[in-house]
Amino acid sequence: MSAREALSGATLRRAIAGAGFTRRVTQEITRHGFGYAASGVVGILVGAPAIAVLLMSLRVGIPGRGGPLTFENYYRAYTDPIVLQVLLNTFLFAIGTVLVTLLFTLPLVWLFNRSDLPGKRAIFVFLIAGFLVPVFLRAIGWILIFSPEVGLLNTLARSLFGVERPIFSIYNLPGMAFVQGLSLVPASFFMLSAAFRAMDPALEEASYVSGASRLRTIRRINIPVSWPAIAAVMVYMLMLAVSLFEVPAIVGWPARIFVLSSLIYFAVTPNVGLPKYGIGGAYGLLMMVLGLVLAFLYFRVIRETKRYAVVTGRGYRPKMLPLGRWRYPALAFVAVYLTLDFVLPLAALLWVSLLPHAQAFSAAALSKLTLVNYRQIPELIGLRPFVNTTILVLLAPTLSMILSIFVSWVVVRQRFRFRGVLDGLAFLPHAVPHILFAVALAYLALLFREVLPIYGSVFIIVLAHTIAYLAYGSRTMNGVMIQIHHELEESGRVCGSSKLRVLWRIVIPLMAGAVCNAWLWIGLLSYREVTMALVLRGPENVVLSTLIWQLWFAGLAPEVGALGVVLIAVVVPIAWGARGLFASIAHGYSGGTDER
Amino acid sequence: MIRIRNLSKVYDTRHGRVEAVRGINLDVAEHEFCVLLGPSGCGKTTTLRSVAGLEVPDDGEIDLGGQVVYSGPQAILVPPEKRDIGMVFQSYAVWPHMNVFQVVAYPLTDGRKRSPKHDVMPRVRGALELVQLRDLEDRPVTDLSGGQQQRVALARALVSEPRVLLMDEPLSNLDARLREQMRLELKKITRSVGVTTLYVTHDQAEALSLGDKVCVMHDGEILQVGSPKEVYSRPQSLFVAQFVGEMNFVRGRVRGRDEVDSPVGKVKCPVPPNCEAGREVTLAIRPEHLSLSSASGDGEGAVGGKILSKTYLGDSTLFEVEACGVALKVRLSGDSDFDVGEQAGVLFPPGRWRVYS
Repeated sequence: MSAREALSGATLRRAIAGAGFTRRVTQEITRHGFGYAASGVVGILVGAPAIAVLLMSLRVGIPGRGGPLTFENYYRAYTDPIVLQVLLNTFLFAIGTVLVTLLFTLPLVWLFNRSDLPGKRAIFVFLIAGFLVPVFLRAIGWILIFSPEVGLLNTLARSLFGVERPIFSIYNLPGMAFVQGLSLVPASFFMLSAAFRAMDPALEEASYVSGASRLRTIRRINIPVSWPAIAAVMVYMLMLAVSLFEVPAIVGWPARIFVLSSLIYFAVTPNVGLPKYGIGGAYGLLMMVLGLVLAFLYFRVIRETKRYAVVTGRGYRPKMLPLGRWRYPALAFVAVYLTLDFVLPLAALLWVSLLPHAQAFSAAALSKLTLVNYRQIPELIGLRPFVNTTILVLLAPTLSMILSIFVSWVVVRQRFRFRGVLDGLAFLPHAVPHILFAVALAYLALLFREVLPIYGSVFIIVLAHTIAYLAYGSRTMNGVMIQIHHELEESGRVCGSSKLRVLWRIVIPLMAGAVCNAWLWIGLLSYREVTMALVLRGPENVVLSTLIWQLWFAGLAPEVGALGVVLIAVVVPIAWGARGLFASIAHGYSGGTDER
Repeated sequence: MIRIRNLSKVYDTRHGRVEAVRGINLDVAEHEFCVLLGPSGCGKTTTLRSVAGLEVPDDGEIDLGGQVVYSGPQAILVPPEKRDIGMVFQSYAVWPHMNVFQVVAYPLTDGRKRSPKHDVMPRVRGALELVQLRDLEDRPVTDLSGGQQQRVALARALVSEPRVLLMDEPLSNLDARLREQMRLELKKITRSVGVTTLYVTHDQAEALSLGDKVCVMHDGEILQVGSPKEVYSRPQSLFVAQFVGEMNFVRGRVRGRDEVDSPVGKVKCPVPPNCEAGREVTLAIRPEHLSLSSASGDGEGAVGGKILSKTYLGDSTLFEVEACGVALKVRLSGDSDFDVGEQAGVLFPPGRWRVYS
């Protein structure tokens, strides 16, 4: 055999091997077409904004104007003397928030799930309603009460006791952490309750039967066994607290107390000058890394809780401990929480909405009560915010749910090689602060304004919400889909239906109830969301929440009160009517509620 | 050792009041193994949990080893941690944050009979020896298999040497083969320790093989108490006959004091005193008491029939025979030559029939 022949033989073998490789790749793609399609869509929707953050941090000037990549933004951002203070503020704010949340949540969860506290149903509805009221409205309500200059409480104190200096002020870090911490109580309550109910009551009974006293059982068994669940909620809430924007803006801004999120916001939407996307990106990257680290930690803790889920018996309902004479202090505790988080701020909003200008409660003020603020709403804002809001709350949940169902169907059901990656990508919007997604989307929309002219329209907000709530939607759908036995689907395939037809005819009808629940829930989240809508706002795409925000910063307290009351008045009947639905959400959901 | 008097418990559910336990009486002697047997919802678990103190009854009295732990009339209620008991739960209830040693040591380190430190180690080791888990004492309990977790739970229940051991369907989460093995072992361990045991199950094979005394419950009441043999061979009511073991049931009409008319002929057997002549009754006989003969004609204690089905079970063969319009199950030990479709005679031995009104 000549060398020439040997050479051609090797080439041939290589060619055959090459063809085999190509064939395997095509086979893989055709066999797992849905997997690759889902990964592609989610990859672009979630990945593009994440990459855009990196990209904009390396560019100077207006989006779209080319230029060399540079670290100048990082240099400018991190040599600014403000940055250390901001990081410290962020840290203190996040820790304080989580502490305040736990302070109220832990006793509440225990009372609700393990004691014979009276009036549980009513409390539950209050918690749901509290969850649905936008956080920034509650913050505004608090300012109306506790602001040193215009606060109802301080003006009252001034007129009653003649004190000169204001006695309360909310404009400081503890004030911010307090307001934010209160607002996270319902979400963490639902998460912890789910975990609490999943716990086997026999663990506790086994301790009593071993002869341990009640206190000792709490110390040696209850606390250690529930610790992973509590830790998971703590990490999750820390992840949120680092990224939240509303309270830091509304309460922190007047006092010039910045945290990372508000710093980024004011970098990209300055009052004067051009938006500094580069600086925003430089801070944003740090924020993203923080979020990812916390998300990683969260997954680790969650894995621990799974290990703790041991075999359960017939599920004897845990005994509700009789509170006896402790029931009144317990009720008082619940009442204090509800007053602080719900009644007080809403009463303040209602009060100012009925007056021509904000003033303390007095006989003189009572005589001036008027509905003029409500009557002038249509004239003040026109029709557009209502139209935009309607488009948003119908479109965002629909798109988000379609995507979620598809993604979790691939993740849970298809033997797709990269389903772990896909699941991780879909979780990313939980970990990456929403404000960053919005900033990155704004940047991308400006970059591609020729191809896809959605900058400044309501559709960019729809897009942002679709991405943001994909995390919640896919997590919920994962949970639901796992419960549908795979043989139900396989029998459909054996009968001769294609994968997609089985999804449409068997899987989706089986989970229709859960899909509707999640759809409505995302709609409500979208309705109360302000951060992303604010970053993406233009003259054309004002929605109700951003409108209230703008009116507040324009100093129009009575109008804000009136609109806020209207906004809440729409939500609360829904909460009341859909109690059962929310109960099922609170019951089945332990993977985090999207409180943003 | 355990004395239960007039125990009753009512639950208020969404569907109204449910009387879970209706004034039952039960005595378990020292060292005795007593099984509460019944279908789900019969009140057996409520009874057990009342003895443990995990459930508070509405009325009655419970006495453990001479100490009244619950009394409705005298308003006495001793909490579970003050009762001298050990308990094995259906879900094992081993604490996921501890290792095997810590779980088993808990009753001694945190329980009612605290032991001095130097005493804990040998006693825990002894208990682990008993359940053959001596090698695994350092493992986290979450790493163990279901069967091993079950053993840990048993060791924990026995380590403090309680006078009463309570078990709530401890084997129901295990797979079939393991369940049988654990059943044998449970019997051996409780015998060797000599602890008075109250055991709840819905599995009649478990009840018959484990108990010194079986107590069949239905609808919150005790229907029959007796040795496994008594309960199996002389069920006192139709429900017990249906629930424990297999039975053939045939409708009949009372003819005299010891004679009943039935589709399969005149049956001679003692009739309950409250059944006068002409009354409709149910006759019952176990499949293994029937036999087949190749003579297919009717005769004394025999009727002709046709074999409908044959199920080979290895150690025995189960036939279904139609005779006189009634389908009868017949169990023959070992293999047999009869085949489906053949005519055969069914033989009724005297003295095996039982009559229920």
